[in-house]
Amino acid sequence: MSKYLRNTFSDFWASKVSKIGVFFLFIVITVSIYTLITFPLDYGVRYWNNPKYWVDNPKAAMPQWVNSFLGGGLLDHQIISTSVPQRSYPSGIYYMKFYEHVFDLKVDQFPTFLTLKLEKLVYYSSRTPTIKLFVTRPDNKTIELYRLVAEAPLPDEHPPYVRYAEEPKRILLSGETQLSYFLSEFLLKEYHVTFEPSEVTKIGYEKVIFGELYEDNFRPLKGKYIFTVLLHTLDSRDQIGKTTIIIGGQIYGFMGTDILGRDLSQGLLFGFPVALLIGFITSVLTTVIGASLGIIGGYIGGRLDDAIQRISDIMNNLPQLPLLIFLTFIFGGKLWVIVTVLVAFGWSTLVIVVRSMILQIKSSSLIEAAISLGASKWRIMAKHIFPQVAPYILSQMIFYTPSAILSEAALSFLGLGDPSIPTWGQILEYGFRNGAVFLGYWWWILPPGLLIVFSAVTFVFIALGLEPVVNPKLKRWR
Amino acid sequence: MFKGISLLLVLFSVLFLTVIVIGATGISDKILNGIIQDRLRAIRQQLSREIQNPEDLERALERIKEDLIRSYGLDKPWYIRMPDMIWRILMLDLGNSRTVRSFSGSNKISDIILERMPNTILLMVTVLIINFILSLVVGVKAATKPGSILDRFVSVYSAVSYALPSWWLGILMILVFAFYIKIFPFGGMYSTPPPTDPFMRSIDLIWHLCLPVLTLTIATSGSWIYITRSIVITTAQEDFVTTARAKGLPERLVLWRYIIRVAAPPILTNLILGLAFYLGGAILTETVFTWPGMGLLYFEAIMSVDEALILALTYIFTLIYIIARFILEILYVLVDPRVRYA
Repeated sequence: MSKYLRNTFSDFWASKVSKIGVFFLFIVITVSIYTLITFPLDYGVRYWNNPKYWVDNPKAAMPQWVNSFLGGGLLDHQIISTSVPQRSYPSGIYYMKFYEHVFDLKVDQFPTFLTLKLEKLVYYSSRTPTIKLFVTRPDNKTIELYRLVAEAPLPDEHPPYVRYAEEPKRILLSGETQLSYFLSEFLLKEYHVTFEPSEVTKIGYEKVIFGELYEDNFRPLKGKYIFTVLLHTLDSRDQIGKTTIIIGGQIYGFMGTDILGRDLSQGLLFGFPVALLIGFITSVLTTVIGASLGIIGGYIGGRLDDAIQRISDIMNNLPQLPLLIFLTFIFGGKLWVIVTVLVAFGWSTLVIVVRSMILQIKSSSLIEAAISLGASKWRIMAKHIFPQVAPYILSQMIFYTPSAILSEAALSFLGLGDPSIPTWGQILEYGFRNGAVFLGYWWWILPPGLLIVFSAVTFVFIALGLEPVVNPKLKRWR
Repeated sequence: MFKGISLLLVLFSVLFLTVIVIGATGISDKILNGIIQDRLRAIRQQLSREIQNPEDLERALERIKEDLIRSYGLDKPWYIRMPDMIWRILMLDLGNSRTVRSFSGSNKISDIILERMPNTILLMVTVLIINFILSLVVGVKAATKPGSILDRFVSVYSAVSYALPSWWLGILMILVFAFYIKIFPFGGMYSTPPPTDPFMRSIDLIWHLCLPVLTLTIATSGSWIYITRSIVITTAQEDFVTTARAKGLPERLVLWRYIIRVAAPPILTNLILGLAFYLGGAILTETVFTWPGMGLLYFEAIMSVDEALILALTYIFTLIYIIARFILEILYVLVDPRVRYA
């Protein structure tokens, strides 16, 4: 037996395809294990489908490595935080605290958006402090951008008054009307040109803040920008826990982001164990059911065999995908529903082939000898018949894995996937539905599809490598 | 004969399955309620012109509603109503769609499907013919030279095309040929507005057909070529082929008259069986290319949760598949002289 196994293995290992397949499988399993260790199991609900978690990321940003292909001309995403004031001094009865954020614009691009984030403001006097945001540009011009008065104390509240502690105050400056007035004023003062606030909004605040006017157009002004958050207050103990300036870039992370700002590399990584799980569970259940029904039907025969034959004949003739869609639609897109439906439609093909193999084996002298020695039906099936069809069943199990992965991806693509678990199919669906193709967001479309193909090809290659072992006839022409 | 009965059985079991699923989950009640509400709304409009007193109107509507509920069988549980429902669907009385209308404005599901069906058939048959030719030419060529470059290419290509989701390939094609190179349209069947000249119109149609057909062919031809190759190789090892060679017949003759003749029926079977795969693939490919066929209709039905339309389409998809199988059975007799039905 061990010699047989060794021969089988060397037959399998002889082809290049099987080596590649095994290597790919190793990658898929390694990445899956890594993901399972580093990601929480409720990642989908807690992070992936929680837009708040991604709010500081740039939307639809390309992967970072694109920059090296384009000669470094793209703007990287930057998050600049300070928790201690760089300067602070009293001025009359007031106190001024300055929180500075230095940003160096090195490329000829405008940032895609600008956000100010304030965390944990603490103040003591009953007169609420004022917060102002200034920017000092490389040409030493200073623009006031934003003014904010913190929420006043409630009647029964006692100092210290704490604001923005649980939920940071997030101000998307790119969408604040205040800026249009400040910037319109700035343009008039520094360039002596008149832009109505509504016109400034149309141009885009980033162009005015980070650009200089040049022949009616704004072009990026490179150099150091200092964003200063000024806390204007009556009590020296007042402070802001953390101030952050987010400068929206055009590139982010290893795989870029989608239009919600979700880091695609995380969703893609999480897809690995999910795909492997779906493929594995479905194929194992399918082959176990199909093979045992085939063996039992073929060997025992009679009415049981007839019944199994009829049912699998009907199952075989069903148009799978429409019914798959129909059932997932009715019972809801839960992962276990998808797996159950896939198994329910998958087992019947195997029954027919295994049964016909059993009919041949049944009449062999080996089985006759076993019967004459008084072996029981179950013993013969388990000890003498199963080992003969085992390689075929194994190859079918591996061959069924990719079709399970592909079917789940297809269902996800139609919007019927399990919403609590990110899968490659769902990433593609979201991209397609939000027009990623028409906007040319290739980084959102290519990787998930490639990974689906990669994981499916892995198992197809292994199955292909097993084919000469299972069916030696296919190796020659005459 | 026996095969025919078994196929009819398939049709019935699909109907039973869908009807039971729809009935037991309470979706059927929802569909019928929707239909009754629609009819009531229409009747209310009509009656409000004739009956002025609002109380009388409400009373009359209440009576009509009860009549409607009784006539649709909503006063009985679904398992008693079911035989009637199956009968209605069998008679192709598919009901009305809530959300989708046909291009001519009708909301009868049979009208909508009849309008869409030719589009799907056009797409599928084009791909089917291309695949058939490809699998005969390339598959047989690869089979006669196992281990050659072509043969190895065929097996890798089949593996990759098996693993390649047609819908993703479609998206890729659009990205490359429509977005970047800009030589093919993003989707649809005609340009807007469609050309009026019949010749230009057909050119426009072919132009729109290119990407979907190319996509489906790449995604499906691999496994077909490979299956053809396997069948031909297996047949080539039969004793009668050896005999024919021993007789000194030229290799060409052996290949076409002895091997292909015998291998043809199983190849044909696989082609027609692939129809099921195609129909499934149509739902996805048509969605990607917004090709106005039945697949896109199915997708629209899912997106707008139009139960009646989903049920009708599931049934029609099965029906088409079963009809294709019947055609296959007939073709069998023509291709393989050994098959005769008593």
